[in-house]
Amino acid sequence: MELLQKLNILSAAAKYDVACTSSGSMRKSTPGTFGNTVSAGICHSFSSDGRCISLLKILMSNCCVYDCAYCVNRVSNDIPRATFTPEEVVDLTINFYRRNYIEGLFLSSAVVKNPDYTMERIIKIVRTLREEYRFNGYIHTKAIPGADQRLIEEAGRYVDRMSVNIELPTSEGLKLLAPQKKKETILGPMGFISSKIAESSEDRKAFKKAPLFVPAGQSTQLIVGATPDHDLKILKLSEGLYRRYKLKRVFYSAYVPVSKHPCLPANIKPPLLREHRLYQADWLLRFYGFSADELLDDNHPNLDMQLDPKCDWALRNLHSFPVEVNRADYESLLRVPGIGVRSARRILAARKVGTLDFPDLKKLGVVLKRARYFITCKGKYYDRIKMDDVFIRQNLLADRSQMPDIESGDYTQLSMFPLLPAAPTSQDIFASITGEM
Amino acid sequence: MTVYVYDGSFEGLLTAVYEAFYRREKPDKIIQRNNLQMDLTAQYIYIDTDKEKSERVYNSIREKISVRALQNVYYVFLSEVEEAGTLIYNYLKFGWKVGPKVDLHMADDRVLTVLKIRRKVECEVHKMMGFVRFRLLEGDIYYAPIAPVHNIVELLAPHFAQRLADQNWVIYDERRNLAAVYNRREWVMTDTVPDRIPESGEGELLYQKLWKEFFNSIAISSRKNPKLQKRLMPVRYWRYLTEMQ
Repeated sequence: MELLQKLNILSAAAKYDVACTSSGSMRKSTPGTFGNTVSAGICHSFSSDGRCISLLKILMSNCCVYDCAYCVNRVSNDIPRATFTPEEVVDLTINFYRRNYIEGLFLSSAVVKNPDYTMERIIKIVRTLREEYRFNGYIHTKAIPGADQRLIEEAGRYVDRMSVNIELPTSEGLKLLAPQKKKETILGPMGFISSKIAESSEDRKAFKKAPLFVPAGQSTQLIVGATPDHDLKILKLSEGLYRRYKLKRVFYSAYVPVSKHPCLPANIKPPLLREHRLYQADWLLRFYGFSADELLDDNHPNLDMQLDPKCDWALRNLHSFPVEVNRADYESLLRVPGIGVRSARRILAARKVGTLDFPDLKKLGVVLKRARYFITCKGKYYDRIKMDDVFIRQNLLADRSQMPDIESGDYTQLSMFPLLPAAPTSQDIFASITGEM
Repeated sequence: MTVYVYDGSFEGLLTAVYEAFYRREKPDKIIQRNNLQMDLTAQYIYIDTDKEKSERVYNSIREKISVRALQNVYYVFLSEVEEAGTLIYNYLKFGWKVGPKVDLHMADDRVLTVLKIRRKVECEVHKMMGFVRFRLLEGDIYYAPIAPVHNIVELLAPHFAQRLADQNWVIYDERRNLAAVYNRREWVMTDTVPDRIPESGEGELLYQKLWKEFFNSIAISSRKNPKLQKRLMPVRYWRYLTEMQ
């Protein structure tokens, strides 16, 4: 089979894997090797779905022995099959890298023959890249669930990041849609990798030259919308993964129907807005000091589709507002809708040389459209603000930036508040007078 | 209105700042010669670039304000925004007044505009680290034409000298006729560019074709979002992107 055709099949088969980050690793270029990595990561292109292309994301093979219902590559699916030879993968990676098309390689694979065999083939490729070609760019591989720990450990010495995809957030989901996979076979390698990472970073504290082990950490992916799991369950799972296994990232992937199966929702549009809200909530967990239980609870198990999770949280916790910008600590500033990590830091810095007023905040990058309901400057509110959740909610909803550049499709979700009428309300008229659109 | 005119070099700009402190007529604007649009009501003072004076300003920024401020000034200079000279002058005047803490005054317009422009330049550098596309020419040279908004070739070169250390490469800014040239040991900036670019080397077209194939097949068609794509990868860069041809 021609290389072009193989690349077509095996990159198309890899496209549902979300992770394409090249961050978190700092390989310096050294004499005799080529390539390096940049800790912030670099996006090299953006495909027509708006997703970043950073790595050559391919499957080594799509000839799978498993039959997971949600997956295109399941054995029972009638699709063209292909397998790269190690030389082909190496050649593509190096020639793409030398032209600055990519940051490195993302190598995944269907399970060929058995997990050990697949893992061995993956190792062969990454070993060739690192040892024979002295490639020092970014490599991300999958740890194939069920593969021997020794193999996973060996691969970990060559790569920057490893990931094991959980895909379905609950064991019931797995039982239903991926009967050959078990929670244990997924979490097992994850725990193993995380303990190895901890070990290696300890070693490196003592000896600078101690070998690297997965320096950019682990990530995983959850499919959203293939099973009826609530957002609360998904976020709790992510939170656990961040805390327990020290994962660097959990990716969420809106379920794109790739097959007809009685257990799968048929003909739905990918729930892109829900995916977006989950990412927002994920950021709140990782950078804003929130816990999953604060964002959602059993009476309110799904993220609000109309408002971002931080606004939604703030509205349910009006008692912790307003926050005085000139005095509040970093943690409280971070919890204000419209203030992010960057603007909170800027506030702390700018406060050292003077007191801040609303126009100053705008210059520092605070989104006053949202923040103004929740803050005071020098003890004063912004204009005429009512500390009332309905009032604030309606004003926030008038803000178009609440809805990202994605079609929400016909996807609707239960919300604590009824949908607001589209016709102008008295609040809208009030808002247009005060200019607070 | 008094306008200082400098020759467009960084030294020229710093000399103008120097003169602004020692001459009796203080400038309202400091403008680069090429951006000059004569205005009858204005008084133009042409500044001769002076190495010694510019060095004194350079050292004074570093010692009395901060290294960071010096970087800010240089980035704003490279941004080539029209008012760069005037913005830098105002920023420095304020900087010499308040000292090393100048960048904490983020709500002050003199500081804010400078920091914003610096961020823009840095953003473009970061984007171009990804968007530069080399093609392999005969004679084993990797060649990448670009046309960035800001004058950033010299900021990109160190990155590629690290990363592609064992390749010969040229990054050529078509808009400014400037190139960074690297010979596996060191890189230099040059504005003498050969009029004929050698043909593509053997195999080059195959990898371009493979890359385009990959680029197209990695997209999920049911998630198509051209607006997002254009926001993250502005159309002005597409001309030089292999995959967008």
